[in-house]
Amino acid sequence: MDAQDQYGTGGAVRRLFLVAGAAALTLTVGLVTPLNPAPQRAEAENGKRVLTVAVAQSVDSLSPFLAARLVSTSIHRLTYEYLTNYDPKDNHAVPGLATAWKPSADKLTWTYTIRDDSTWSDGKRVTAEDAAWTFTTMMTDEGAATANGSFVANFEKVTAPSPTKLVIELKKPQATMAALDVPIVPKHVWEKVGDFSKFNNDKKFPVVGNGPFVLTDYKTDSYVRLKPNKSFWRGAPKFDELVFKYYKDGDAAVAALQKGEVSFVSGLTPAQAAALKSRQDVRVNDAPGRRFYALATNPGARAKNGERFGDGHESLLHQKVRRALFMAVDRRTVVDKVFQGHAVEGEGYIPPRFPEYSWKPGQDQRITYDPAGAARLLDEAGYRKNGDGRRVGKDGKPITYRVLCHATDPQDKAVGQYLKEWFGDLGIGVSLDCRDNVSDPWLAGEYDLAFDGWSVNPDPDFVLSIHTCGALPATPEDTGATDNFICDKKYDALYERQLAEYDATRRADIVKRMESRLYDTGYMNVMAYPNAVEAYRTDQIASITTMPEAAGNIYGQDGYWSWWSATPAASDGSSGGSAQTGVIIGIVAGVVVLAGLGVFFAVRRRATTEDRE
Amino acid sequence: MTTKDPDEPAASRPVPAASRPVPAEAGPRALARRRRRASAARFWARYRTHRSGLFGLGALALFALVALTAPLTVGSGVQSVTDAPGRPMESPSAEFPLGTDQFGRSLLGLVVWGARVSLLVGLLAAVLSVAIGTLIGITAGHFRGWFATLMMRITDWFLVMPTLVLAIVLATVLSRSLGTVVLAIGVTTWPTTARLVRAQTLAVEARPYIERARALGGGHWHVMSRHVLPNVMPLVLAQTTLIISSAILAEATLAFLGLGDPTVVSWGGLLQDAREAGAVSAGKWWYLVPPGLAIAVVALAFTLCGRAVESVLNPRLGVAR
Amino acid sequence: MTRDPAVAAGAAPPPDDRRARVRGTAYPRYVAGKLGGAAVSLLAVLVTSFFLFRLIPGDPVKFMTGGRQVSAEQLAAYRREFGLDLPLWEQFTDYCGKALTGDLGTSYQFRAPVVDRIGEALPNTLLLTGTSFVLYTVIGVVLGTRAAWRHGGPGDRFHTGLALVLYSIPSFWLGLLLIIVFSVGAGPVPGLFPTGGMESGGEEGFAYVLDVAHHLVLPVVTLVAVEYGQTLLVARSALLDEMGGDYLTTARAKGLRDVLVRRRHAVPNALLPTMTLVFINLGRTVAGVILVETVFSWPGLGGLFYQALSVPDLPLVQGLFFAFAAAVIVMNTLADLLHPLLDPRVGR
Repeated sequence: MDAQDQYGTGGAVRRLFLVAGAAALTLTVGLVTPLNPAPQRAEAENGKRVLTVAVAQSVDSLSPFLAARLVSTSIHRLTYEYLTNYDPKDNHAVPGLATAWKPSADKLTWTYTIRDDSTWSDGKRVTAEDAAWTFTTMMTDEGAATANGSFVANFEKVTAPSPTKLVIELKKPQATMAALDVPIVPKHVWEKVGDFSKFNNDKKFPVVGNGPFVLTDYKTDSYVRLKPNKSFWRGAPKFDELVFKYYKDGDAAVAALQKGEVSFVSGLTPAQAAALKSRQDVRVNDAPGRRFYALATNPGARAKNGERFGDGHESLLHQKVRRALFMAVDRRTVVDKVFQGHAVEGEGYIPPRFPEYSWKPGQDQRITYDPAGAARLLDEAGYRKNGDGRRVGKDGKPITYRVLCHATDPQDKAVGQYLKEWFGDLGIGVSLDCRDNVSDPWLAGEYDLAFDGWSVNPDPDFVLSIHTCGALPATPEDTGATDNFICDKKYDALYERQLAEYDATRRADIVKRMESRLYDTGYMNVMAYPNAVEAYRTDQIASITTMPEAAGNIYGQDGYWSWWSATPAASDGSSGGSAQTGVIIGIVAGVVVLAGLGVFFAVRRRATTEDRE
Repeated sequence: MTTKDPDEPAASRPVPAASRPVPAEAGPRALARRRRRASAARFWARYRTHRSGLFGLGALALFALVALTAPLTVGSGVQSVTDAPGRPMESPSAEFPLGTDQFGRSLLGLVVWGARVSLLVGLLAAVLSVAIGTLIGITAGHFRGWFATLMMRITDWFLVMPTLVLAIVLATVLSRSLGTVVLAIGVTTWPTTARLVRAQTLAVEARPYIERARALGGGHWHVMSRHVLPNVMPLVLAQTTLIISSAILAEATLAFLGLGDPTVVSWGGLLQDAREAGAVSAGKWWYLVPPGLAIAVVALAFTLCGRAVESVLNPRLGVAR
Repeated sequence: MTRDPAVAAGAAPPPDDRRARVRGTAYPRYVAGKLGGAAVSLLAVLVTSFFLFRLIPGDPVKFMTGGRQVSAEQLAAYRREFGLDLPLWEQFTDYCGKALTGDLGTSYQFRAPVVDRIGEALPNTLLLTGTSFVLYTVIGVVLGTRAAWRHGGPGDRFHTGLALVLYSIPSFWLGLLLIIVFSVGAGPVPGLFPTGGMESGGEEGFAYVLDVAHHLVLPVVTLVAVEYGQTLLVARSALLDEMGGDYLTTARAKGLRDVLVRRRHAVPNALLPTMTLVFINLGRTVAGVILVETVFSWPGLGGLFYQALSVPDLPLVQGLFFAFAAAVIVMNTLADLLHPLLDPRVGR
């Protein structure tokens, strides 16, 4: 090959290479531009006070008929008024869209008075007709019942005799009628929707609503932006904007808080909370949580038709064995070591954050940590140790319990390690079965023990209902609402009684008796009530309402209190500016680094050239 | 010199001395053994000239020693959470040179103990991967016709699969255990080996002595196991070393994504624990740095060894000495 | 695991002997062959993704209705809605037919077309990988050719060594360290860069571009650091291969200066095999970006994939798997198609 020829080709290749590079760069820059969000926020002036909340969970849908995830329902709380709300002090039902509500003498008809001072953000007045339409649509359209269908399952008929009067007729009495957590949507907007199962309400902004905030913009896994509703009947929120910003990584969110990129972060780990506590400009809110964290036992899965399925270990059918397992778990250690103090030791089913329903076992009923006692109980039940020190089941094989755990939950894995050693000391093997999605073996009853946890609502009906026989699947092929196949006659009888009891005190008493019964069965070992560990920047948020007010959580409240009540700190005006400065510093640094690299290469190149010449 | 990829051990590379046909006269076994010993000595003599290769080998020996003696030095008790000696996430001190983890266990002990799992998974996955690759490569090179076409189609198809994505899917589909991780890595990384081995097989089988072996009545099995396999072994060895490095990184990756066995201590698992415990934003660097460093050093050591082996087998590559 | 083991030795993944056959055949026929092959591969991926994900445990309908009381009739209605009541092969033909018209089904968790979700995330992933790609290719080629030219010298040893070291570092670990040092700020280093995400939100016009660029820095640095080593090693050995060429001796004999010989003769030729590899790598980078996206909360395909898999949101997982594999296939094909155009020695 001739060198001259090479020369020509080389030039061509270099040009091609350059063109390719330039094209790639142009493509890159070009891609940035169309990503520009909607230009309706052009009025963004300096000193705008923005409240930025770090979130991780993706929005499943912005349609109130479909949304089930916490992040989405929280947004709906902020953008749509529900019939009732809960008092931030003590969780009792307070007026929302309805100013008053009362049952008829036969307990089957509820009449709500709808307020006349609430308007949709497009200017139209909110009437009882909107509420009636919302409920009726959920009762008649399967797609619209996706998220909140259970609330209307017992509804016979919903009507709006006048703009301020809503009437709901029931099939049978229901004590939870002041706790209908259903967003009421504007009929004039939503009646144009064709298929409720496909409409996600995320194409046209701002979204018409009547809550304290108006949803103005949303970009998947990037942000959700809300503007205050200036005409909100309870009074407008004080921040100029509320932004839910996505950090898929918890550490990234905390780092963002440390830098002031976000105002609020929830779900802190103990190490993060400890690191943030030492900061002047951050307040860590370590409040009693609304969740219980339990170890559930497979009681022998069965369907309503009596058919048994699944393969839970036969030994777990013995109450003594369940009690022994209960006694082998040191709940104090779980709280101290795994939660590092950011939890309350578990006892009754409902967390103490809801004092009117929370229950504690008496001194003689209480099951305390007692490994020796546990070993005794197991011996009594006939599960004795073999020559290798392993306890043997009725089938003659050493017992190994499969513990279902959530792979995404660090607590499950940590407690699992402890269970392995605690049960191991008793002579019982543990195999930790961690999965991203536990629902398959769970629903099939193919587990022995499982980590379980629910967030409890101010009205405990739901978390109580999931342990009734009525919640079992009709046949093994169906899905039930049941949590872990518990079916106990005594418990069920109490459940029916509380549901029909319209007197709050008497109902609470029945609920406590249910918890006592559940405790005695030993099916659910409530190990801890994890705290809500959150933090916010005090130089951005001056004050914010927790729920309960005395000591409570901020994110995921039953109501819009936190974000509605938050007041900006005086110095906050500069936060936007400091972010800008950060950007500029960052870019200057980037340019300096690039320039440095350029100089470095140029120098090296010269050096090369020189020593060659 | 067409478009052959630059460093790939090509079919046309100088034939290693070991595979030169030797007259099958007196005492073929003894002769073969002597020949092999001689070529091994030659190999080592050349390998020794690669400084980075020696460094890699030294590092590996050190890590292997640490992993094998772990039961004596730290003991399996280091994994126990109930008997954890320290407080959660203590910073490095005289008692805990690398600090403690979220349960208060000594991180130095865990990193040492984790070496066992990480190295074991890396080795097993690489062996599985190379075994599949060698099997498919040799058979596809030996049997021509539709079988070879089919095998190479499958290989090509696996080549275009995004490895990490496929491994993640496999690790999700199967239950969480070390076996799953080994399998997920093994079945996604073999195609390169298969192609390389096939090319080498084709070259070997084109040599006259194979013709002779066939004429003397050597069957498929005889040809493949006695003539082809010994000739592709050096290539397979180099390939294994390189793949172990990838497999160790892959194990760490899967563990980091939460797809490993959560009850087993491995380096990737420690990183995942550190991240879940919020060590990054809490500034607990001692939880994060040692496991990552260990992964990087071992992966580097295997890569350096692999490069040195490659370079000994194919001196034309100017691997830095 | 974005790496191919063979690259550590400097070799490109598929030693593709078929490319050589272009010699003497017409280019259009070659193109047709390559495109046909790519189409077959895509089809194979489509088939696999359908069956592979049927293996994932978990009944999607039970997931969708989890925690609610659902009657058998309602379950059946859900199954009908998502076509899960049909026999497997019918679901399959249905899936293929729809896929050909660009419909990859409806995501279970988002109740939105899969194509829409991928369409939202794809530009973000391309922005990240595109920028990194350009940078690591340029850096890799420049440093690699330099190292080869001074083969054995201190510069070569340094750069090859550094490349191998960075190449051995887990990308997610490097990302986390970068966050600690340059985002949270460690010691004297202030937190210069955002900790994650792609934008602050609320920025307009040029400020928005700057904002995204600002968010882009750390993820790009991470990707470039772990990826440039491959390019460097390949470019280096390609040039080493080239350096034995007679034409270089000729060029030198003609009295050309060494730098010129390198810049005008050797490097352009060595670039050819490198470019091929670089394109193949791009496809792999797109798939390998999962880790970096996870660490930096980048709203791209990787994060979406990981999340969809944990549900499991089958249609979305299927669609994403297809997208990742398609990226590799398209890049491979592009490399195949460009190769004869760039390489004068592969005559037409």
